Amino acid sequence: MNVIKHLMAASCFWAAAALADPPPDYPFVNFDAGLKAARTSGKPIFLYFGRYGCAWCDHTNKKTFSDASLRALYSKNYELVYVDAESGRRLTLPNGERITETELGVRLQAFATPLFVYMTPKGEKIMQIPGFKTVQDFRDFDRYVRGNHYKQKTLLEFLGSQS
Amino acid sequence: MRIALFLLATWMGPAQAGWTWSDALTVNTVQGEKVFPHMESANRQNVAVSSDSVGVVWEDNRDGSPQCYLAIKPLSAKQFQPEIRLSQAECYEPVVVALGVGQFVAAWEEAGRVHARRIPGGAAIKLTEAESAQATLAVGAGKLYAAWAEQAGRFRRITVASLMATADSLRVSHVQPVEAAVPTDEQGWPALAVAGDGSVSVAWEDRRNHHTVPMVSHSPDGRSFAAPARLTDIKSGSSDGLGAGMGAMRPTLSAWGKQGVAAAWLDKRDFLSGYDVYAALDEGDRRYGRNLKVQDSFGENMVQWHAKIIGDASGRLLAVWDDARDGTPDVWMAEWNGKSFGDDEAVPAASGAGEQSDPVAALDASGNLHVVWLDRDEKRGARVRYVQGVPR
Repeated sequence: MNVIKHLMAASCFWAAAALADPPPDYPFVNFDAGLKAARTSGKPIFLYFGRYGCAWCDHTNKKTFSDASLRALYSKNYELVYVDAESGRRLTLPNGERITETELGVRLQAFATPLFVYMTPKGEKIMQIPGFKTVQDFRDFDRYVRGNHYKQKTLLEFLGSQS
Repeated sequence: MRIALFLLATWMGPAQAGWTWSDALTVNTVQGEKVFPHMESANRQNVAVSSDSVGVVWEDNRDGSPQCYLAIKPLSAKQFQPEIRLSQAECYEPVVVALGVGQFVAAWEEAGRVHARRIPGGAAIKLTEAESAQATLAVGAGKLYAAWAEQAGRFRRITVASLMATADSLRVSHVQPVEAAVPTDEQGWPALAVAGDGSVSVAWEDRRNHHTVPMVSHSPDGRSFAAPARLTDIKSGSSDGLGAGMGAMRPTLSAWGKQGVAAAWLDKRDFLSGYDVYAALDEGDRRYGRNLKVQDSFGENMVQWHAKIIGDASGRLLAVWDDARDGTPDVWMAEWNGKSFGDDEAVPAASGAGEQSDPVAALDASGNLHVVWLDRDEKRGARVRYVQGVPR
């Protein structure tokens, strides 16, 4: 039994190390697995572009992603993808191009982490949001994306119409 | 007023010295909407110049899977010879160095192992049986070295090998991890330089401090390495109890001057403007001076990518990178003037409308600069482009 516990603990640690800094207790997967899952499930993709050791990512994880209701909302309704901004791990874009996770940051012109990217189930970008965000921010983004408001309005227009 | 203008012109002299550029050439013969060439390699070592030829390596998927290619152009020729395929199985991140007259050595990752081959003629050899990636090569002072990231327990660590090049083949004469201990976190993207005194320097990305830090070590003979030191002069540590430190990645090295080594990397210490290009210089004592910001103030608020340092024995030193300060990615360069890096200059053929990115470059024995980059066009496909600069 102890052996199993040790193995489970080791495998959790390995998963955390391999994925760098995603928030704990969320079912984040790598880019390719997330895209594949989204094609099957039809759920939008929530991509967390983080950096190993990033203070603002840590802050967002502790302040925002620790919220149990947010965890439930995003875990249920999105395919959650974590990408490490400085990793050479490979991924395949929807157009078939193979790049590294770092190169995805180049394509997104990511200047800061964390960066949050919402994508359709086909992997088309809906919007990208840099920096620390609150639980309420992520609830608003969720309504904008899953309500398909992005098809008619910019995020600012949508948020303005809600206030 | 005249005196002021004269002083200004004199002061700006080295930075404005500039280059006369050849017409740009396309290197890759196969392009298309679904063909994606890449030049992402450890030390960004995708171009090399022998005394009479320039060699360029890249990876693309024209054959249905990622494969590595080499194209050679005699310096006097008007175009590149058709590329040759280096790999048999999935191949990534090829690099190339020049040995001598028309001779090159290429290395790459193939099916999870590092391979190398002398060209023309030689057969590919596997440099290690262990799972390995992110190969690089350096040559100088009659020595040839390879480095790569090799699986050692849970993580990869940096390994350096001395290679022997015979008339038509290669063999590994010695393999040595930079550190004997099993790594406690990931190491990768090694860069190598053989200084004028024959010593080998190696830099790499290192996560032992729970964020990415470029580290460096050196060895007189490739057999025993000094304890690793940081290239960055920013300390690791959390900020208000959060995180572990600023990011810095993809170190590159180049031999420089009689015995020096220069380094450049992408550095996020100013985290609001993305990565900047930073450099540090070892003037021959195997210690790096203070970190120097490379790009000028016009590139300050813009994220820089794909930095590469290039030096030569005469003391010329410059860095290339891409950024989108003018709206779309362009290739930029800045030259060391003895005190700092001068004003940024766009490489003319690699700037303007469209996307020009991923620069690599090499200086030849005459001081000419050979620049290669990717020119992306979604419909036409990406081209690997080349231009030669002659100092004015």
